[in-house]
Amino acid sequence: MNVFQNIKLSLLGLLLISLSTNVLSAHNNTTSCNQHSTYAWFCDLCGCSTSSGSFGFGTLSNANFIGLRYIYQNFESKTGIFRNSPVSKETFNTVQLWAQIPLNDKFYVTANVPYQDLSRTYQGQTEHLNGLGDASAIGWYKLMFYKKKSNDTTAINYNLTKEPSGHSLQFGLGVKLPTGKFEERLIDNVNPGFQVGTGSVDGIFSLGYNYGGDKIGVNTLLSYYLKGENKNEYQFGNQFSYAVNVYTVFSKEKMNIMPFAGISGDEYDTIKQYNESLNDTDGSILNASLGSEVAIEKFIFGASYTLPIYQNLFGDNVQSKQRLSLYVNFAL
Amino acid sequence: MKLLKFTFALFACAILINCSSDDDDNNEDLTDEKGDLILKFDNAVGDYDFIFETSYTKSNGESYQLNNLKYIISNVRVTDTDGNVYTYPAEDNAFIVDELDGNNAGEIFITLDDIDAADYTAITFGIGIDQERFALGAEGQGDFLDLASEEGMMWSWASGYKFVRFDGVFTTSTLTDEPLNIHMGSVGSSLDNYREVTLSFPNTVLVREDKTPEIHIKADISKVFDGATSVNFSEGYDQVHTDATETPVIANNMQTVFEVHHVHND
Repeated sequence: MNVFQNIKLSLLGLLLISLSTNVLSAHNNTTSCNQHSTYAWFCDLCGCSTSSGSFGFGTLSNANFIGLRYIYQNFESKTGIFRNSPVSKETFNTVQLWAQIPLNDKFYVTANVPYQDLSRTYQGQTEHLNGLGDASAIGWYKLMFYKKKSNDTTAINYNLTKEPSGHSLQFGLGVKLPTGKFEERLIDNVNPGFQVGTGSVDGIFSLGYNYGGDKIGVNTLLSYYLKGENKNEYQFGNQFSYAVNVYTVFSKEKMNIMPFAGISGDEYDTIKQYNESLNDTDGSILNASLGSEVAIEKFIFGASYTLPIYQNLFGDNVQSKQRLSLYVNFAL
Repeated sequence: MKLLKFTFALFACAILINCSSDDDDNNEDLTDEKGDLILKFDNAVGDYDFIFETSYTKSNGESYQLNNLKYIISNVRVTDTDGNVYTYPAEDNAFIVDELDGNNAGEIFITLDDIDAADYTAITFGIGIDQERFALGAEGQGDFLDLASEEGMMWSWASGYKFVRFDGVFTTSTLTDEPLNIHMGSVGSSLDNYREVTLSFPNTVLVREDKTPEIHIKADISKVFDGATSVNFSEGYDQVHTDATETPVIANNMQTVFEVHHVHND
């Protein structure tokens, strides 16, 4: 238990440090002169969406773990206001250290620290940007449901261990922290909005429903992101994320194979700057995913491939192409 | 359990900090503060970016291709949230927007230096040169006369400036690639074709010493032929120069060309 105490303390420390630095930087009003926010919504896509609920916060079985996840994403975006404006191609590589750490049998914490490596190709030129992204942490309360005892015996036995029904609800409250740099500059400074972080503190509210049976399981997650303003008085649109995954379990001698299929999506509200809404900065996307987890002893290996079914992002100026996610977790 | 409560309290605090950031300094003192403002002109044909030597079709089926596209903008002024109007200094307040000066994306930049810091909501500018400025005489035009001559935006001093210059070719059902020249101006002081437009901004434009906003103006040049009035090349609008009937029609159509697509605040 000592290990967990230490983890808890260091998590708290991290939170405190990040919060205090953010409060300090919020009063630093020096902004660069030639910075325009043409593509600023991108830093929301890359800085936030990879840690958002539509990507999931953990494993299918809602087990406690610590692990690494790699996410590869492709986007295409228009670089002007016209139908025949040239298109640029964006590739986001994200490596996350992620974990679900139990505090006791009812409470646990999920945390996510990403490293971003982004590139954008436009008219034969490729720009690169990499660095620590925006970390997030969510505290969860898990409500387990138990099977009703149908025994008709008159004696009420309080000492009997209750049998879990497999159904559970999770309530999460968390923050996304501006640990990723928002004002990272590119060499030629063409695309200042192309960033590894959003520069804002965001609140995260989540509700999850899980069912884990012998043969089949369901994993549902709804999250709402209340976005804060960054020091450029830029406030990304509040975001609603959802994800539903259905999986089956094939038990082999030494391993469990859990293929899954799901849908997920994000709804973005309009971006605000100086408290005014900006046109064509809202959007929505619906994705379909296919993947599998393989559990061998304490290790869980996962892979999933995601394609958009429907999207209308930022006045159709951005198109999500595909997403690949690979992870390896160590069960705690 | 205590630690747990503390953790949640911390989350709650973070969210509160996050939500209470609306304490913007509304009583900013901007007296004597100056800043720059960038106008970005983007020529278009409908929803498409304008490109030289590309064939565009008019509403009546006639088509045109251009190799030269310029117009004069003058008397630029901006209106702030209190209704105050800031006018750019008269001696510097005339510009030529030339598609040839465009960047990769075909955007032409005009920078207004040292304008009053304020929150602006609308812009007004003239297309061409007004009679008052023309009446100052050749020496009263400053450097702009030389610039306009170099850019081919003058006839002679007596006839004055060409406000708009479109050169290229046109095609109709009976003619192919015939010369197209739209040179519209005021023709001395006998005919006043100077027009003004006022465009409001979709978002407030904040000009500050350390903030240089950009106003992205889309200019749909197809409206020169299909604006307030649709004109036919076959009926004489292939060569528009000093004609007292044709030039006001083109001038009125020019008034419908501009819109502020969006603004970028820093």
